[in-house]
Amino acid sequence: MGSRKRPEEASTIDTYEVMLIVIPELDEEQVESTVGRFRTIIERTGGAVSDVNNWGRRKLAYEIGHRADGFYYVMEFTAGERTLPELKRILRVSDDILRHMIVKLPPTYAHQPLPEPAEISG
Amino acid sequence: MGRRRTSPGGSRRERPIKSKPCVFCKENIAYVDYKDYNMLRKFVSDRGKIRARRVTGLCPQHQREAAMAIKRAREMALLPYVVGR
Repeated sequence: MGSRKRPEEASTIDTYEVMLIVIPELDEEQVESTVGRFRTIIERTGGAVSDVNNWGRRKLAYEIGHRADGFYYVMEFTAGERTLPELKRILRVSDDILRHMIVKLPPTYAHQPLPEPAEISG
Repeated sequence: MGRRRTSPGGSRRERPIKSKPCVFCKENIAYVDYKDYNMLRKFVSDRGKIRARRVTGLCPQHQREAAMAIKRAREMALLPYVVGR
């Protein structure tokens, strides 16, 4: 989707946003651990999660796989080199994710520019 | 003077030119967010179809961006593809 590249923007780090719909069969705790799994994937591959937004259980506008609702999560993050392909691959094979969408945020829109990268423990 | 260049042919009605600025331009919105599905509701019909530019009054750039945002919102089940079938 129309990525405009200007020389002065190329040096700044891109911020991405991923929206997840987790299946409604899980309880809150399992949902948290599912989302935490993706968080660790981002951090393990050299990205940093800056914002996790829980929208809670919401009704879907239409049924997906005979499910009428799902848990919505929105995460903002910066990506390392391997983050995006790895995240996409695992999202696609995860059975507890109904849908997902990764969007690159315009540089002016990102909520917090992340003062310092989150430290990677491990 | 003798020349009459205004008022063309009598039968054709002249439509007043609307000069209403696009709502996104007016509010200086650079990025139409697909997560704001309640705002996007204004640009779909009650059937769920994307409204035409002449109805929404958006400028070409923002109409395109709004359409894209609506399609993204549909994919994430925030907006319906069709209403009441």
